[in-house]
Amino acid sequence: MLFLLSKIKSSIKNLKIFSAGSRSAFTSTRTDHTHPNWLSVALAFGTSAFLWALLFKQHSTDVHEYRVRNGLQ
Amino acid sequence: MGLIPEEGKSLPPPGIVNRYSVWLSGAGWLTAMLHNAMARRPPLKSGVHRQVLFATIGWFIGYHLVKFENYAYAKRDRDMNEYMKLHPERFPVKEKKTFAEIVEPFYPVR
Repeated sequence: MLFLLSKIKSSIKNLKIFSAGSRSAFTSTRTDHTHPNWLSVALAFGTSAFLWALLFKQHSTDVHEYRVRNGLQ
Repeated sequence: MGLIPEEGKSLPPPGIVNRYSVWLSGAGWLTAMLHNAMARRPPLKSGVHRQVLFATIGWFIGYHLVKFENYAYAKRDRDMNEYMKLHPERFPVKEKKTFAEIVEPFYPVR
């Protein structure tokens, strides 16, 4: 329904009666690779560091648990 | 650990470097590079933070996967051995023959 209305509007637009009736604010640019998104970079590296720390902590806990349960330490 | 119950904690834990960690981190790195290539960016040089993050996630998942696999196989082996102990009649020891007893005499025809 709305699609039909917009079609009708766009076809009538050529009459310049509805030229101020609908305006689009849509803009688009290509990603600027010379200015990286430092927030996402920081988040990615931060998450990686966190995961590595978590992994090493978990591993040391596992090793300790194994030693304790098998009476080795 | 949510995956592994208490009894599994007495198993030797896998090392930090283990088979699934290496493979899955490689897969994660490859995913990041593929993503770069499909977005028409230089595959190795761009988005290093993404490559590092995906590889790290793969390594992390791989470690826990190896731990769980070790537990699952250990449990299966223990249950299997217990069953074999409880039902020895189902697992008769086969009489072992040497090859000398089985093999027919050899008459070369040259």
